Amino acid sequence: MSTKKMVWAVMALAIVLAACAPAATAVAPIVQTVAPIVETVVVPATAGPAPTASPMDALVAACKQEGQVTIIAAPRDWADYGTIIDTFGSRYGVVVSDLNPAGTSADELNAIKANEGNKGPQAPDIMDVGYSYGPLGQSQGLYQPYKVAGWNDIAIKDPDGYWWEEYVGVMTFEVNTKIVKDVPQDWSDLLKPEYKGEVAISGDPKGSNQAIMAVWAAALANGGSLDNAQPGLDFWAKVNKAGNFVPVIGNLSTVTQGATPILMRWDYNALGDRDTAAGNPPIAVVVPKSATIEGPYVGAISAYAPHPNCAKLYEEFIMGDEGQTDFLRGYAHPARFASMVSRGVIAADVLSAIPSAAAYSVAVIPTLDQIAAANKVITTGWDKAVGANVK
Amino acid sequence: MPFFVFILFFLVYPSSTLVIGSFQDEAGHFTFANILGLSDPYILGAYEVSIRISVYSAVGGAIFGFLLAYAAVRGGLPSFVRSSMMTFCGVASNFAGIPLAFAFLATVGRMGIVTEVLSSIGLNPYDAGFSLYSVLGLSLVYMYFQFPLMVLIIAPAIDGLRQEWREAAENLGGSFLDYWRRVALPILTPSILGTTILLFGNAFGAYATAFVLTGGAISLVTLRIGDQLGGDVGNMSQGVGYAMALGMLVIMAISVAGYTILQRQSERWLK
Amino acid sequence: MRRGTFWSWLWIALGVIYFFVPLVGSFTFSLHAKLGVLSFKAYSDVLQDPNFRINFFASVAWALSTIVIGVLLFVPTAYWVRLKLPRVRPLVEFITLLPFVVPAIVLVYGLVRTFSRPPLMIVNSPFLLIFGYTIMSMPYMYRAVDTGLRAVDVPVLTEAAQSLGAGWVTIMLRVVFPNIRVAVLSGSFLTFAIVMGEYTLAQWLAKPAFGPYMALVALTKAYEPSACAIISFALTWAAMGIMQFVGRGAPGGAQVAGAH
Repeated sequence: MSTKKMVWAVMALAIVLAACAPAATAVAPIVQTVAPIVETVVVPATAGPAPTASPMDALVAACKQEGQVTIIAAPRDWADYGTIIDTFGSRYGVVVSDLNPAGTSADELNAIKANEGNKGPQAPDIMDVGYSYGPLGQSQGLYQPYKVAGWNDIAIKDPDGYWWEEYVGVMTFEVNTKIVKDVPQDWSDLLKPEYKGEVAISGDPKGSNQAIMAVWAAALANGGSLDNAQPGLDFWAKVNKAGNFVPVIGNLSTVTQGATPILMRWDYNALGDRDTAAGNPPIAVVVPKSATIEGPYVGAISAYAPHPNCAKLYEEFIMGDEGQTDFLRGYAHPARFASMVSRGVIAADVLSAIPSAAAYSVAVIPTLDQIAAANKVITTGWDKAVGANVK
Repeated sequence: MPFFVFILFFLVYPSSTLVIGSFQDEAGHFTFANILGLSDPYILGAYEVSIRISVYSAVGGAIFGFLLAYAAVRGGLPSFVRSSMMTFCGVASNFAGIPLAFAFLATVGRMGIVTEVLSSIGLNPYDAGFSLYSVLGLSLVYMYFQFPLMVLIIAPAIDGLRQEWREAAENLGGSFLDYWRRVALPILTPSILGTTILLFGNAFGAYATAFVLTGGAISLVTLRIGDQLGGDVGNMSQGVGYAMALGMLVIMAISVAGYTILQRQSERWLK
Repeated sequence: MRRGTFWSWLWIALGVIYFFVPLVGSFTFSLHAKLGVLSFKAYSDVLQDPNFRINFFASVAWALSTIVIGVLLFVPTAYWVRLKLPRVRPLVEFITLLPFVVPAIVLVYGLVRTFSRPPLMIVNSPFLLIFGYTIMSMPYMYRAVDTGLRAVDVPVLTEAAQSLGAGWVTIMLRVVFPNIRVAVLSGSFLTFAIVMGEYTLAQWLAKPAFGPYMALVALTKAYEPSACAIISFALTWAAMGIMQFVGRGAPGGAQVAGAH
């Protein structure tokens, strides 16, 4: 009997040793393998981002020496990050590892803090966080400044270069039209009794940027403004009281299954979901008629980045015309959209695939102070508004 | 001895950040404010809800888990029942988080298959006020990993009930009930109670399942801690999060101590 | 026992219903991946994803390693405590239940900070993950081993073995281990399941593992997440079945060696 145990133990040890070898060499931790480029790039045939000659070459060389870069909380299906990561990786021969793709902006900041002295792949180089986490991370000393080539085209940014807008989306309703026959068109529709137990948010407004914006957007349509987010809380309290609100954290699975057939989502996520579902189930993406909000996402480089040159190169890439067009293909509005349109560098087929600009006319974009104030109101007030007071 | 070294390095030292952090404020200075902040009704409410859910699922888990374990071990069933139940319980005891939440949504959620079946015969549970996103609903979901845990832990104890004792009781003229009242239950009670406490701790520390199902709408201590450690700072400080975790540690420590005492009582019998 | 048997079947049946219905719910949903038709498309998508295999078997490797280290660490300790240091026992038991209390996120945060700088720079090594898992599984593994030892009269057996001239190693291997085999197996099941489903540690330590993979799938796919959950459930159950088969000795529950 004991020999059997020995055999078993030895087998297990063998597996351990075998596992250690590949694990030591496999640097890409979560899932992402860098595949050769599959997509054809429509926009400028030039190989890289902005035009400046030698600084960029020096950067490329330095990055190649570093050999890898770590991005965090960037799911492949979010605004087509998959394509962007793959393109960058194969073009510069760099291994891109995607840490914690399911993470939140707050997770990203925590990861920087936890890995302060760590040069390994657990330490993130590149940030992509919600708008308010730009100044928040900056104030905590977590970023290092860098100004990309197209700096002047960017409207929203920190003047010293600690963070800048990458892309923006608007808050929409993602609706499973197989289950919801009468698609809601506006915020007030969400209060209709026919949607009992069907309306949800895709995060927790106490921590998720996307969720906070969902509350704020509702405020805009219900007597609030960019300076006053409280009506948003009141609105959702009404939705909850009507029995229409479902506290489940929504995602494509729950939309499909029917637990959350009406979901508050950024347009690029909703449109991405629609494409992934490909009709099974059919998904409609509705920009609420009366008002909605724009939520920019900002990029930054970690102050303790183990691979700062690759991080800088990466930011050059995604903020360059090519990277920004990739975002557009993922349905997100790139930060330098206006400049790109005026220079005519966006291909017609890409432009036609995105929802019309008219739909976005009701969207407004907040300032940082407004965001800070609204965050405070929403995160502290959510539980009182909607918290389940049960039994 | 290597044991203690191991523990020191991998458990004590990293966890010390938790204890230390609960006494620090934003600037890192020593303060009791975080601990005092625990008396905020908002936070106390979270403890109350957490305790309620933990108690419901622990007691329910203990009762039904015990019945299941007894049936499998001593119930006179073919042995494959016991072994497959043990392995199943091993898997189920850790089936939690998103997959579990989704499974329940797909079953008794508004569009779940059981809900639909019941509705078609006119018994829509939601009309009667049932909600998966309530304390009772969550307790029901928690049972999924509570039952198996109970089964796995109590089975060896049931195994220890010597057949001879049963026979002896019968020889002395006692019935099935007598056997239970006088012999089996007194022996098993410390184990049962002790394991119930363990189940309580297990439920108290659960996070992912509740998060997915309720998005933080139901106030649980673990969710509140998650808010502080991972959410938007500006609400309360991180120190409060750590203090809450410390509070959790104290509660768990008390329950663990209770479990230990009861366990030692029971093993006196099994010797 | 016939009256007892009816009740036994009843409880088992109720248990089966409670456990299987939610699984059926998930399963039914996952069959709808192709519009209008019941198909296994979601399953083939998952199984064909190379990342599925990588992450699943990575977690299996971690789990087995954790079990081995746990056994090597906890069995001698439990034995020693039982035999020589009974007064330390309450303290040790308390320690072993501590991981219950420390949330995974706090543990991993502490681990990363502690071990990401010299001289203890092992943050990149898979061993850190394995050790973290060992800590997390400690309540279950230690408890199981302890329960097993409790049912065995340790001092008597040890004396008997020693009087026959056995050294410590022999005692451990040939006397202790065989008698607590069932308990160790039970602890191993729990450890295996824990590691397979674990998310936080693997995520933060940037190692391939099944938990983060499942979370990623759940993020952006509709039917694949439930298919993934069902598959992982089934595979983990099967793995446990194998473990039970491999570890099985003489059938029967009697744990006391010899005197009966």
